[in-house]
Amino acid sequence: MFTGCGVVSGQNQCLTNNAVKPQPGLEVNKPIQYDNGIIHETCPIFQGQNYTNSVTQPVGLNGVSNIQKPIPLPISPPAIKLGQDGFKKVCRTEEESPCPFPGLPSGVLEMRVKEGSKIRNLMGFAMARMQGEKGGSGGSAGAAGLRQVVFTGSGRAVTKTITCAEIMKRKVGCLHQLTKLQYKVVKEVWESNQGSTSEMTVHRTVPSISILLSKDPLDPQEPGYQPPEAFSALWEDRAGSESAAPTTCKRPLGSSPYSGFSHPKKLCLGSASLSPSSSLTS
Amino acid sequence: MTEPRNPGMSTVPQTHPAHTESTSPAVEMDPVEYTLRKRLPRKLPKRRNDVYVNMKTDFRAQLARCQKLLDGGGHREICVHGLGLAINRAINIALQLQASSQGALQLAANTSTVELVDDLEPEDPDEAGEPMTRTRNNSAIHIKVFYPDPQ
Repeated sequence: MFTGCGVVSGQNQCLTNNAVKPQPGLEVNKPIQYDNGIIHETCPIFQGQNYTNSVTQPVGLNGVSNIQKPIPLPISPPAIKLGQDGFKKVCRTEEESPCPFPGLPSGVLEMRVKEGSKIRNLMGFAMARMQGEKGGSGGSAGAAGLRQVVFTGSGRAVTKTITCAEIMKRKVGCLHQLTKLQYKVVKEVWESNQGSTSEMTVHRTVPSISILLSKDPLDPQEPGYQPPEAFSALWEDRAGSESAAPTTCKRPLGSSPYSGFSHPKKLCLGSASLSPSSSLTS
Repeated sequence: MTEPRNPGMSTVPQTHPAHTESTSPAVEMDPVEYTLRKRLPRKLPKRRNDVYVNMKTDFRAQLARCQKLLDGGGHREICVHGLGLAINRAINIALQLQASSQGALQLAANTSTVELVDDLEPEDPDEAGEPMTRTRNNSAIHIKVFYPDPQ
């Protein structure tokens, strides 16, 4: 009656947490409050429901690294979905994948870009390391800094990873780039809500990207290599080859499928696949 | 009854008025409202084996299109392009192609920055706001998916 609802729920939470697991209770409080603050503003009605669900969840959150915390909203839907089936996520570990750049010296700075990473933080750190102390003549300024840096990111952080690399290329200049793509295996352990005896391990594959930026020349034969200031060359190359190709190539290829296909269905498919492409180019 | 309790839970109710107060002057400060219209990315080269991945088309359809180019189209290599959010999907398509080929296909990824132009058009023509343009950068990826030369 008297006390506000926020206070009551907070007390309830502490009680249940302490009752379930006394030891992690103190640590658990932090992630809850964090989630609290975010859900709070958007939809206070759901708060109560979320509490009941999340009272047990933070045990999983505890074990998980910081990656998940900044984005509770996109992650929570699958948790709720599986929660209906009586499962909740207990832990999430990324399996070690082999280094995409064999023969890389061990001391290379590796920037692990996560979904919640701030680009200014990443770039502030990486740029300082790459540039080293600014001093002496212009040529020797780079000698103080690192020669190479690797940006890696997976899942939704891929775009951010590329952006970081692009910013660094523009700022530092004369950087050789090597880009590698691979799948990263993420192991998730789900635990049954009711019995808590049955466990389910899910292996998920997440696309990941690794970008090596180097002041020293790299092997140009390696797939994924990009020489410094390759952008204009890339497009001029394309434009040159394109100006000749489509006029000669498009017509015979465009007409032959129609004449070749006898089925009306395929005709429809062909025209359907052509129309979006034409709208894209326009 | 409730008033003495308010200091205890002051954070909850006060946030909402604070929000509305902070937003209304922000609107008044900027009398001319603009509609942001994003132009399409600049025209890019389009060969038969170029695939521009977007987020509107079904993923499987785009994957099947790439597969068809490699299998039936007689292309030794295709180029998968993705811009912004579609980077993820482009990478996924390329990795799926590679996985389904049992290692026969290789990937070579390049990244670039694409300059995009936004148009800002005044919502109300009487307000004498001038139409503006704003440029921003977005990241893009270009993945060459190819059968390596037998050597």
